[in-house]
Amino acid sequence: MSTPIRHSAAPFSQPGWRLWPGLAIASALIVLAMAGLGALVWETSLPDMSQLWRSRYLRTVVIFTAWQAFLSVALSLLVALPVARILARQPAFPGRAVLLRLMELSLVLPSIVAVSGLVSVYGRQGWFTGFANDWLGASWNLYGINGIVLAHVFFNAPLAARILLQGIEGAPASQRRVAAQLGLGRWWYWRAVEWPAIKPVLPGLAALVFTLCFTSFAIVMTLGGGPAATTIEVAIYQSLRFEFDAGQAALLAMVQLFICGFLWWLAARRGLTASLLPDRRVAAHRSKAGSSVWARICDGAALGLFVLFLLMPLIAIFLRGLPGMGAAFFPQGSFSGNPALLDATLRSLAIALPAGLMSVSAALLILASGSVGAKSALTRLTSVAAYLPLMVPPLVLGTGLFLLFRPSLGSSNQGLILVTLINAMMALPFVLQMLRGPMGSLDLGSRQQADQLGVLGWYRWRWLHWPRLRRPLALAMAYGTGLSLGDFGVIALFGSPGHPTLPVLLYQQLGSYRIDAAAATGLWLILILLALFSLFNRLGTPARKPGWTTNSPRTVTEPEHA
Amino acid sequence: MLEVKNLVFAYPGQKAPWNFNFTVMPGQCIAIHGASGSGKSTLMNLLAGFLEPQSGDILWQDKSIRNHAPWQRPMTSVFQEHNLFEHLSVEANIGLGIHPGLKLTQENQHAIELGLQSVGLSSFGSRLPGDLSGGQRQRVALLRAILRQQPVLLLDEPLTGLDSDARDLLRQLLLEQKSQGTLIVLASHDQEDRQVLADSVCSL
Repeated sequence: MSTPIRHSAAPFSQPGWRLWPGLAIASALIVLAMAGLGALVWETSLPDMSQLWRSRYLRTVVIFTAWQAFLSVALSLLVALPVARILARQPAFPGRAVLLRLMELSLVLPSIVAVSGLVSVYGRQGWFTGFANDWLGASWNLYGINGIVLAHVFFNAPLAARILLQGIEGAPASQRRVAAQLGLGRWWYWRAVEWPAIKPVLPGLAALVFTLCFTSFAIVMTLGGGPAATTIEVAIYQSLRFEFDAGQAALLAMVQLFICGFLWWLAARRGLTASLLPDRRVAAHRSKAGSSVWARICDGAALGLFVLFLLMPLIAIFLRGLPGMGAAFFPQGSFSGNPALLDATLRSLAIALPAGLMSVSAALLILASGSVGAKSALTRLTSVAAYLPLMVPPLVLGTGLFLLFRPSLGSSNQGLILVTLINAMMALPFVLQMLRGPMGSLDLGSRQQADQLGVLGWYRWRWLHWPRLRRPLALAMAYGTGLSLGDFGVIALFGSPGHPTLPVLLYQQLGSYRIDAAAATGLWLILILLALFSLFNRLGTPARKPGWTTNSPRTVTEPEHA
Repeated sequence: MLEVKNLVFAYPGQKAPWNFNFTVMPGQCIAIHGASGSGKSTLMNLLAGFLEPQSGDILWQDKSIRNHAPWQRPMTSVFQEHNLFEHLSVEANIGLGIHPGLKLTQENQHAIELGLQSVGLSSFGSRLPGDLSGGQRQRVALLRAILRQQPVLLLDEPLTGLDSDARDLLRQLLLEQKSQGTLIVLASHDQEDRQVLADSVCSL
């Protein structure tokens, strides 16, 4: 028998196609970060380091930033831990799945939108403030450290609880069965099963929450309430935007980088292997709750309070935003052709969609590069690059690039391109985490078969990876786009006040006390996010469900799309 | 002619490396026989190019294929299980053996239809592997290997665990392939398989 012609010429089948694009992206990321940081150091005349402890302002800023972040971490974990334990104890109750989804919302809910909801509930005229002042005789003020920490807990406690729950549910089933058989009480169950399960997650989780709070910008800008409650990020922004003191901005940026970098280094030394993103599968282990009616009532009440805490600002955004929606689109009672909201929406989408696409593409290429057999220093470079944005906060990067491109950064469009690029970088660690599992799900047997059949390169992507990745890819795209859509950090630095994105418009409305207009913008932003998620979810669902008949060779002679 | 010459392989920590030697002619079947852990599957993986030998050579028609990638070797493997891509239909699984990008001609599609008929699965083309029994899955895997038209078939316990009807059908298919000149390397525990199919036996 003669050997037939081999179909070895699958497009992009050379191993280099898997390795080099990802490496190039990773290198570009590192170069970009280095260039940004280098610009900070070299292009400005750094003020004397001793200013950090001599200048009362700088000292206050650094101490306040660390203090509010520490408080936020402590309180977030204090809320998250019992919630996670209760959710693990109560594996089946109506609405559990919805609650778990709601707890992931903080990953994409723009902080500026959440702030507008928090103001409606806890602000001067807020529901809660009225209740607290009238019934409890307390004098509550949202602005200052109260509001900052409250907003940080609102954002981070649900996320932390979700990740801790994942950790608890990841405890070996055998341990849970043994504990149930022995009838361990809650304290011993905590010591024997839950604590060992969450212990590995805690350092990374604490570092993540600390970094998020330490580098928080929109929340501090809107709820800070004055120089006494200014964080490093806000001080960098003020230095650049109002004081034109690039040296001070550089000094602060380096302090921030040093503290965040040191923290991640510490966390990494403790073994940063646990996932720091909630698993999309709705976690539900099916062991019996085994608790008394009274204990279950207490659990229910605690969860009820938590749900109230989460939902009240969202309901407030909806209730206050809905009446203002008409006025937002029809400012003078009729459609004006180019209302500010529509304009800002288009601008936001013009930034967010390419940013989402860039982060997803970069993540895919980096993962493909990391999957190439030899674990050389080159492939390790890809993992470093991918998580670099967690260590180099966006405003620090933005500051450096701003300084680097300052002479040639002429039009606002160029600034927006830079915003898109930085937003894509910021979304990268999250997008990567979402795609890592599905991308690596092709088992050894399938890989060997594919190798033998010559299903390589583009063909392997089309027939083996794409069916597995389609859904997570769509979800990652939604997250990447959503994160960029809600960005109010880098855009504040590069954007022009006359051409705002949706978060900037919202900030401007909050700043001028147009709370109803702000609520309408916030609601509109949420609706766009929901529409995006539903659109990408639809795109991620195969057209026909059963049997992959659409992919049978009878109907497909050319790859349809990817 | 397939020639395996002093092919040496050891897993990390393995004290005594395996050393494989045999020769088979086209149209013949060699049965690889040995206890569990004796290296049957390792040999199959070495031949297929999934593992890299420490030394020695594999010659096909007197030319070394030791450094060839799996898709460049004149071989198709059928294992005891996990031969099919679970998310692709039976037709797509077979089609990938004919063209790795599933760009199939009318002639190819006709061949798939005829092949499915010949193995008694004519109405199963659009089903997923998960909907098939073990015997049906092996028939699909073997059909793919046959339609791929490679001169060497590497069969690693392909009939283990199948009922007698399925075994008979697959043995018949393999004998047909042999008569058409296909060279078969068969790793099997089963004495009856060896008796029916093999022309020679290599004990490990």
